[in-house]
Amino acid sequence: MEQYLGIMLAVLGAALAAGWAGAGSAIGVGIAGESGAGVMTEDPGKFGLVLLLQALPGTQGIYGLMTAFLVLLKVGLLGGTPLAVGIWQGLGIMFACLPVAIAQYFSAIAQGKTSAACIQMIAKRPEETGKAVILPAMVETYAVLALLTSIILLNSIKL
Amino acid sequence: MAVAEIKKLDLYLHKSVREEVLGVLQRVGCCEIIPRPADAPQDAPMTNERLQEIDGKISEIRFLLRFLEPHYVDPVSSLDRSLGEKPIFSMTELSRVAEKTNIEDFSAKMHAYEARLLAVRSEISQIDGKLLLLDKFQDFPYTMDLLSSGTERVCGLSGTLPTNNLQGWKNGIEAKLGKESEVFVSSFGEKDAEVWVTLLYAREREADAFDVSSKYSLSRVEIPNDLNLSPSEEVSALESRKVALKAEEASIMHIVRKEAESWVPVIRSLSDYFSSLRKRYEVLDDGIFTDQTLAFQSWIPSRSVDALKKGLLPYQKNIEIVLSDPEKEEIPPTLLQNANWSHPYETLTKLYGVPVYGELDPTSLMAPFFFIYFGMCLGDAGYALVMIAALTYFMRKYKRMPDSVRQFMRLIMGAAVSTLIYGALTGSWFGDLADSYEFLGFFRPIKNMFFVIDPMQKPMVILGISLAFGIVHLSFGLFISFYDCIRKKDYVAAFGDKGAWITMLAGILLLAGGASGALPGAFSTLGKWMAIVGAVVVFVYQGRGKSGIMAKFFSGVLALYGSTSYLGDVLSYSRLLALGLASAAVGVIINMLGNLSSDIPYVGWLIGIMVVLVGHTFGMAVNILGAFVHSLRLQYVEFFSKFYSGGGKFFAPLTYSSQYVDITEASAKK
Repeated sequence: MEQYLGIMLAVLGAALAAGWAGAGSAIGVGIAGESGAGVMTEDPGKFGLVLLLQALPGTQGIYGLMTAFLVLLKVGLLGGTPLAVGIWQGLGIMFACLPVAIAQYFSAIAQGKTSAACIQMIAKRPEETGKAVILPAMVETYAVLALLTSIILLNSIKL
Repeated sequence: MAVAEIKKLDLYLHKSVREEVLGVLQRVGCCEIIPRPADAPQDAPMTNERLQEIDGKISEIRFLLRFLEPHYVDPVSSLDRSLGEKPIFSMTELSRVAEKTNIEDFSAKMHAYEARLLAVRSEISQIDGKLLLLDKFQDFPYTMDLLSSGTERVCGLSGTLPTNNLQGWKNGIEAKLGKESEVFVSSFGEKDAEVWVTLLYAREREADAFDVSSKYSLSRVEIPNDLNLSPSEEVSALESRKVALKAEEASIMHIVRKEAESWVPVIRSLSDYFSSLRKRYEVLDDGIFTDQTLAFQSWIPSRSVDALKKGLLPYQKNIEIVLSDPEKEEIPPTLLQNANWSHPYETLTKLYGVPVYGELDPTSLMAPFFFIYFGMCLGDAGYALVMIAALTYFMRKYKRMPDSVRQFMRLIMGAAVSTLIYGALTGSWFGDLADSYEFLGFFRPIKNMFFVIDPMQKPMVILGISLAFGIVHLSFGLFISFYDCIRKKDYVAAFGDKGAWITMLAGILLLAGGASGALPGAFSTLGKWMAIVGAVVVFVYQGRGKSGIMAKFFSGVLALYGSTSYLGDVLSYSRLLALGLASAAVGVIINMLGNLSSDIPYVGWLIGIMVVLVGHTFGMAVNILGAFVHSLRLQYVEFFSKFYSGGGKFFAPLTYSSQYVDITEASAKK
């Protein structure tokens, strides 16, 4: 059993990263979408702008998926023979996934709220779309930093 | 690379030429009229009858566009129109169109059609309501007036009843009213929660009927008074009326569509014509009138003065132009003026907010950084090629794009070129497409020719480069603010604040470099002293305005604490690595999914192609947006905060409004 525990811990890490990030993005995109639907009842012509803003909290899900794939690639579960992963290495990989799992979840929700507010903003001032795109991007910074941390941590674990 | 020089123009003119002169101002399009000060003397109160007339026309035009446009099949798509595919007119041509078009008559005609359509549609919906109601009375053997008005002795009620209560209600009626009533239950399904019932009863027993019905919660529905015949007769009468109404609606709609086809283009051009005229006459509100003359003040870029003078040449006997520099307390609007290479980046400056007149224009200062950062964030040569192809297509197809759109496209084109370079250097062409499919092997030598470093394998190197860019960018920002203080002759702030920060941060960098062994030890000592001197100056400078030793001390300490923000700023540039990695990794994942799905028997190759195409399109869209937003953020948040605050008002000259047509000086159709 012990020879499998390592690789399964890595799988757990990948699952946490993709799962929590995806869940966060779903909530975030949902929040923004609710706001967008409200705006579009007044002006269906704003669909393009609203969609753009609604899509912003979706990147966290992609970062989570990406991290999961990087883990699976690393331990050879995707297209190759699985490598021997020790328990400590497996734990390390799992821990390396935590920045993504945690930060993506919460940042996606926060970004969703900001996007929702910005959708309200472009309802009144469509000419300020540029600014409305920047504000949610401020939140995403921390998702990017967490992704970076996870990638660097993963990279530093030698198999 | 600057904010254009703006002059103040005082224009005095005889009132006989006022419309022509305003026309020239609008045509040349280089004057922003300054609103009349509220306390300015006004000898002859201005009557602006022409404006009222135009407003009347505009409101008719708005109605007509609202009414007709939904029925107009536009030969030009709205995308094409926003990219400049508009008919060209001159003002003279438009005025001729306006003269021979009687908008009011046409509008009255359309108002009548609209009213008739509304009436027809509301009658149809009433009929639909009645038909729905009559559907419940299919088995009702009497005429409807028994229910709507009743006879001398008999009347009735009708409504819905919870299905569970049906039996109880029937029994109740039977017990109370007996032979003096008759009950009808319309057919209902087993699962229906409610059932439609009708009850006829002797008029004098009404109270009992109501009693029982309300006990079993029957909710009564009024039968409209105009239903008198038997249900089937009513239905056929209503149906035939509805057919007639539908026919009338269709014929009106046919006329409206016909009218829309011939009128919408005309009305649209007139919409622009009258809106332009409106802008022109509104200016009269900002003028100062005397008996015979009229005076305006406006802002004009000095480079446009000659064009305006040339335009006004025919009226020179009746006008007087005085040019002057803006007064100290006046704040002219800002017009950006940049060399051709950095011109597209003005879009980004405008997005943030233009500088106040006389301040630095950050456009060309940030342009190179934006160029590089976008490339690093997107970082895929394949995506770049797609972008370049798409942009080239658009720029070739649409020759008359509005300037703002053209500049934005040029901006993205530059960004795509940068992406191409960075993608080629990191060997990312649609992720690792060439490496993951055997049949694309021929491309590998081309890829390897430019390949220098793989960020997936050596992320720390790219991280180092990203942070180095951050340090360069931030120091550049600090140097600009230092220069800006010198330019404004604020030497104390220049050396005490900006200069001291630069010395301190450079010292810390040298110290770190020396300590880590990257630089010779001598630099370490130099760095230490630079950092100390810088810190002391910052400390003293920040405290100078405060009274009391403690206040001085704390504000100095607080200022030094601000140095941690520089650490955060530099680390923020790590996103260059992260986003670049993200787009590369997403590309790799898509290719892998494509490979996996091509193992499916028979249709695998098709699914594989679909996965790769859709996946890369999606990845490209998400990553372009991300790259744009994040490289912009590095400018706005990290770079601008060092020296730039925006807050200016953008130069908005009097011009034509051209939502639907392009208004030019000379007609294109000569």
